[in-house]
Amino acid sequence: MVKTTDVLYYAVHVGELRSIIQWQTWHQAVHERRPDQEAPSLTICFEFLDKTSRSFSAVIQELHPELLVPIALFYLILRGLDTIEDDMTISLEEKTPLLRDFHNYVEKEGWNYAGSGPTEKDRELLVQFQNVTEEFRKVKPAYREIIKDITLKMGNGMADFCQNVEHNIDVVNTIKDYDLYCHYVAGLVGNGLTRLFVESGLANPVLLDRPHLQESMGLFLQKTNIIRDIKEDLDDKRRFWPKEIWSKYVNNFEDLCKPENREAALNCSSEMVLNSLNHADQCLFYLAGLKEQSVFNFAAIPQSMAIATLELVFRNPKMFEKNIKITKGEACRIMMQSTQNLKLVCEVFREFTRKIHKKNTPRDPNFLKISIACGKIEQFIETIYPSQDPKSIIQEPAAPIDPTSKEAKDQAAAAESKSDLVYMLIAVFGTLFLISCIMFGVAYAFGARFDVAFSELTRGKLSKPTDAGAAQSIIHKYDRGEL
Amino acid sequence: MATSVLITGGAGFLGSAIVDAVQEQHPEWVVTVLDLAFPSVRKPNIIYKSCDITNSVSLNTLIDSIMPDVIIHSAGLVPELAFRYGREQRDRVFDVNVNGTRNMLAAAKRSGVKAFVWTGSCTAITDDMRHQYRNIDERPSVLFGPGDYQLIPSVHACIAKGETPFVVGDGENLWDVTYVGNIADAHVLAVENLLSTGSAAGEAIFISNEEPIPFRDFCLEVWKNFGHFPAYQVYIPVSLAYVVGYLAEGVTWVTGTPTTLSRGSVFDACGIRYCTGEKARKILGYKPRVGIEEGIRISCIVSLRKFLNPSILP
Repeated sequence: MVKTTDVLYYAVHVGELRSIIQWQTWHQAVHERRPDQEAPSLTICFEFLDKTSRSFSAVIQELHPELLVPIALFYLILRGLDTIEDDMTISLEEKTPLLRDFHNYVEKEGWNYAGSGPTEKDRELLVQFQNVTEEFRKVKPAYREIIKDITLKMGNGMADFCQNVEHNIDVVNTIKDYDLYCHYVAGLVGNGLTRLFVESGLANPVLLDRPHLQESMGLFLQKTNIIRDIKEDLDDKRRFWPKEIWSKYVNNFEDLCKPENREAALNCSSEMVLNSLNHADQCLFYLAGLKEQSVFNFAAIPQSMAIATLELVFRNPKMFEKNIKITKGEACRIMMQSTQNLKLVCEVFREFTRKIHKKNTPRDPNFLKISIACGKIEQFIETIYPSQDPKSIIQEPAAPIDPTSKEAKDQAAAAESKSDLVYMLIAVFGTLFLISCIMFGVAYAFGARFDVAFSELTRGKLSKPTDAGAAQSIIHKYDRGEL
Repeated sequence: MATSVLITGGAGFLGSAIVDAVQEQHPEWVVTVLDLAFPSVRKPNIIYKSCDITNSVSLNTLIDSIMPDVIIHSAGLVPELAFRYGREQRDRVFDVNVNGTRNMLAAAKRSGVKAFVWTGSCTAITDDMRHQYRNIDERPSVLFGPGDYQLIPSVHACIAKGETPFVVGDGENLWDVTYVGNIADAHVLAVENLLSTGSAAGEAIFISNEEPIPFRDFCLEVWKNFGHFPAYQVYIPVSLAYVVGYLAEGVTWVTGTPTTLSRGSVFDACGIRYCTGEKARKILGYKPRVGIEEGIRISCIVSLRKFLNPSILP
């Protein structure tokens, strides 16, 4: 449904409207799903995928056929796990074993769970989870092992977290705790996906040797979402911002959203943004290891969205008032740029990094650190795509210039603009000279005594005589030849 | 016998930082400082020798008498910022930096030193020197630190002149400004390397803080340390600044005063000045010890003391 506010927005943001139209008319999926050849249970799985995730569903469905089903099921399994973890109506005694054994349930024929609270939005997925388990049993054993392993680790991490929450309200105390929490909910996903990509032969196996890159892929997304969702999480009594950071700015976590603390809250969010921004260059590095287009798109789109979101929340007071998100038009433009190659993704990163840098202010206590983080991203992009090509600089004088080549044309254009500049300067100074002549001429016609003025100037009298009488006497002296 | 280290330019800004680093990390080494003039407050346990390195005869006599194992050649003439883009001091700069270095190398060869570390500059991009003994050419990027008489004071001076709101270019060009103590550390590492494995011999190594930031942000951080925040920002296009610089050069030429604004300074302020620290990391095991934020803070505190109490200025 189209809202009036949207119509107004896109009436003044024509560029964004253009992006939406272009994305919807020109975007072609790299691979297409074949619903006609799917088992009914798989079709149900994809329906759930659409319902549970708006942003991920589309990119997952365009994945290479080899990974399409494993990754879709991987997503649904983690979503199921997440739904149980989030559900406050399930007691800890029931929840903990569910989370810790979830990796076994996913293979159990006909397993499902109806104990979720009635208002839980993904309750239905668990109620009909037998469709997921049925399909999961058909997945290649190698992929199944990877997914089960991640489910086991994540389930245990979540169970630990839930037990801590039960005993203590501030679970995420230090930045280390924060990183650990993000590791369980997102870093592990990065690890699992990398193993799936490499197992299927669609990514460079070197990625397996770089666990910190996989970790960064997950953490960059998770941390950015945690920053953006501050208001929503606070309203739901969830807190993920580490105490180590927020306690520097406010006394109580709830104070972050109070209007009187806006400046402190903004500075606090800057430190959160900085913490997230430090993962950005490693995400680009990771993306360089993905060869297959659909896998690249799948991994790159969320990263580009994350850097755009980070820019949106950076020093934006609205984040403490309501839930903010990037506009659809901007999302479409980013998706278009992120579904081609790494160079364009780097452009997206550079664009938003510079926007963040523009908003950075010296009054922010994290000013220089943010500046350094932005500089690091720029430097990294420069190392993989140098703006200067050393070969071309060395070869330049030797290579004969082809008059039809782009360089020759550029040179001709440059020479032309240079001569244009010269002509313009001549015109400007010519006009000034002419006007000066006219002014002097008019002054002369009205009887100005330039000869007197000049000789007085050479004698070091720079200021004009104090009154008309003094001026007159000077002229008299001059005319009588007394000087 | 204890290792004997000769540090040229050891009374200067960088040189004295190297002297400190050597004394801190190798108190057993015998340090001789060679410079034109000496500070009023001399450091303990240092031998001071006065010599003009452009005079090869007196230089050779001096080196023969010291017979150092290691030479750290950091003497060099850096014209004051106002003269940097002018021509007045060019011959003298060339004489000290090129002929002086040539004399040092010749003297080093004659006396048979074990290691020679030369402080180059990131502005030198090519290096055509070939030597028989172990030597390193270390190239720091733009330097700052406590006692720096160029960068921080001139950035600070903009506050009084009301120039802080003006940004030449887009303010996005990255500079890797380096804290002087880190460069000094790198020199000690270089000497250690040459005296042991020698894997750095013959290499030109770029040394930096590995924290490239826009030059504009460096200035903003310095001003922030002095409690100044520009009220607004005005962006001046590079081309316009270039024209103004050209005109200013004309004025300079006519009046014969040193320039503050010129095409050269515009070029520097809008230029990109950073390099990769990978080689320094790999070969020397160098890691900047003082971060740029901390470095700026320390330098500004020292400068602030000087501005408040001009009597302690050297």
